[in-house]
Amino acid sequence: MKLKYHSFYKSAVIGVGLTAATFSQASRANADWPMFRGPNAGSVAIDAKLPTEFGGEEKENIAWRTELPGRSVGGVIVVGDSAITTSSSGMDQRRLHLFSVNTKDGSIRWQQEFVARGRPFCHPTSANAAPTPASDGKHIFAFYSSNDLACVDLEGNLVWYRSLSTDFPKAGNDVGMSSSPVVVEGVCVVQIECQGDSFAAGLSAEDGKILWKLDRPKQANWSSPTIVKMLNGDQVVVMQSSEDLLAVSPKTGKVLWEMKLRCSSIPSSFAAEGRLFVPAGGLTAFDLSSVGASPSKLWDNNKLSANACSPLVVGKSVYTISRTVLASGDLFSGESKWQTRLPEAKSIWSSPVVAGNNLYVFGDDGRCFVVELGDTEGKVVATNDLGEAVLGSPAISGNAMYVRGVSSLWKIAKK
Amino acid sequence: MIGRINQRTIRCAILCVVAFSSTSLTVTSSSARADTSAESIKLLRSLTAGDESTLAAAKAIKQLSQANDITLIQSLTAMKGATPVGRNWLSGLANSLYRKSGKAQTAELAKFLADPNQDGEARYIVFEWMTTNKDALRAELLANMNEDSSPELRFLAIEEAMKDKLEKKELSSLLESARHPSQVVSIIEKLKEQGETVDQSRQLGFLPNWRLIGPFDHVGSLNFNKVFPVESDWANGALKDEYQGKTEAVQWKEEVSKAPDGDVDLAAIYANEKGCIIYATTEFESEKDQNAEVRLGCINGNKIWVNGKLVMSNEVYHTGTQIDQYSEPIRLKAGKNQILLKLCQNEQKDAWAQVFHFQLRICDSTGKAILTKGR
Repeated sequence: MKLKYHSFYKSAVIGVGLTAATFSQASRANADWPMFRGPNAGSVAIDAKLPTEFGGEEKENIAWRTELPGRSVGGVIVVGDSAITTSSSGMDQRRLHLFSVNTKDGSIRWQQEFVARGRPFCHPTSANAAPTPASDGKHIFAFYSSNDLACVDLEGNLVWYRSLSTDFPKAGNDVGMSSSPVVVEGVCVVQIECQGDSFAAGLSAEDGKILWKLDRPKQANWSSPTIVKMLNGDQVVVMQSSEDLLAVSPKTGKVLWEMKLRCSSIPSSFAAEGRLFVPAGGLTAFDLSSVGASPSKLWDNNKLSANACSPLVVGKSVYTISRTVLASGDLFSGESKWQTRLPEAKSIWSSPVVAGNNLYVFGDDGRCFVVELGDTEGKVVATNDLGEAVLGSPAISGNAMYVRGVSSLWKIAKK
Repeated sequence: MIGRINQRTIRCAILCVVAFSSTSLTVTSSSARADTSAESIKLLRSLTAGDESTLAAAKAIKQLSQANDITLIQSLTAMKGATPVGRNWLSGLANSLYRKSGKAQTAELAKFLADPNQDGEARYIVFEWMTTNKDALRAELLANMNEDSSPELRFLAIEEAMKDKLEKKELSSLLESARHPSQVVSIIEKLKEQGETVDQSRQLGFLPNWRLIGPFDHVGSLNFNKVFPVESDWANGALKDEYQGKTEAVQWKEEVSKAPDGDVDLAAIYANEKGCIIYATTEFESEKDQNAEVRLGCINGNKIWVNGKLVMSNEVYHTGTQIDQYSEPIRLKAGKNQILLKLCQNEQKDAWAQVFHFQLRICDSTGKAILTKGR
């Protein structure tokens, strides 16, 4: 059967569970990891103690591995003692699964299932289950490339379901969509940008009503919306595209500020230390201290570009990955500090996470590079092979890392 | 105890008879409200798109959860005849009910799965529940599902069968059962390995014979919705031999696709012209009046008309493409049916944006080819 996809999309669509920020980017070790890139989209669990070496033939420091039906390139989230993940299976990947897995032993606590009502097609390396689910602590929001959006309670009971492709029939992208939802102030925000019905929307977390809808550029976009907490405490949702960067009020969808900017359409923005970091022109930092006005540009650095993985901040440094090169820059000045080529890495789509002072990033061949982050260098201290493709971003909870491989879920923790 | 269960079962059965007796309810108001489980099921079965429908359904699912008087089998039975959106709500309900009581209902679920008149999606869920971690049972059930009424179960059955080394006769039989293009292609390849040649284009029902005309102007991707004279003349049954094209007068060309996947390579035929529109027309002679589907694979902007009616419109360029990328239901009349395609190429310069093509087939709703008379 002939499948035709061009290389740009091949590279774009997989940038998936990759991508979403605030003034305090690091989560504590015991907190939930409620959405793509964790609390505040920071991707960092500063107190977590993870093993640097795991996997391999000895299955070292693998607490459990649970095989799941179908395929996923999205990430995993953690709510309490449940790891939540999605997959898609069956004919044309039309079957949509949602799983809650007991973090203690890897047993499947509950699962839900739906059938894609939107377009299920995607690049062979991707999956209909590409977006990472999200949670507000009361509900789980499972979103799929086919624009099916389901809300269940923490026991897996359906609260509401929406086929956004039934509501908006031209929404879709046949190389796959991957933007992950965020939940803030009782609103689930989705960004569905494509050549057809292209929009962002805020849906009531309680009942699925569309509270607001914003027309977006008719261009493919795989980046995820990002929650940003402003200095005055207000939370806003920042969205980017290849044409613009804007912030909206989560409850009303009112555009608070917007600017023309050619942002990357795969990695997502995030905020830390009063700055908004946007994958645009390499990496561009904006000052978030002025409430209500468009943020002013602080710096940009084209040597800090990110092609697929979303950037993150640890301490006074910002980190980006371009292809297989990890680069570090100064948080305040944007000046490059160092860069390290990840040895023998082939292709990386999974956004990295940080525990303590170590960065963990998975190649799509399932090898995890552990890099000790220093001020003058990044030292690869271990390369661990899970033997399974990983394209989604991991979650960290307690002293464990949860990794979604394409066909199973892994818990990595010191034994 | 038994008496109480029976009474409850009877009450639920009555509820469901009432609930399922009408499938025409449409939620039209946010005030739509279901106070009983029968009304809630009826509402879920009829759901359409939109806020009002979603809000009413959210109330209905809550009512069903609180009332707790619908059985697992009833929730599955309700999926038959429900709208696609409604089936997903009912599937959500069924999954919750299965967690509570499903494992004690093995016999009832087996009976439900064996009933080809039940909803195919509901039967698929039951199949998954019954066969999780039970590979032997899975294989045993699938061995008898090559002709299943559920396209999904049929797909799984053929996938399972393909794991074995099959003789020519078995492959030929499987080919007649297969509907999904990927499986049809795979079986034909295996037959070829055994010296048996099958006309793949015919097997899948691709239309190989086309008359093409163009290029017409589409610079700036501005003319997707412009009605060129070809469109209006075709609608009036008065096509001319020649039209003013993008830069000069253009005439019709005969094109016969010899590709096994029915592909017509417009980039090759029109020298990689960019910012242009090509029209393609053909006749399809149907044996009888019948429902069918037109299925298109095309990485470029496209529109399709059948017998004067616009049936498909996709202003999308250079994302993915595959066989059956777009499907729409059509009504074929006995005799000659006229088909017109409008194919639009933009001006992207990227190496991956040079493809300009289409592949079109006619089939029934399961994907089985419907051939033009005489083919």
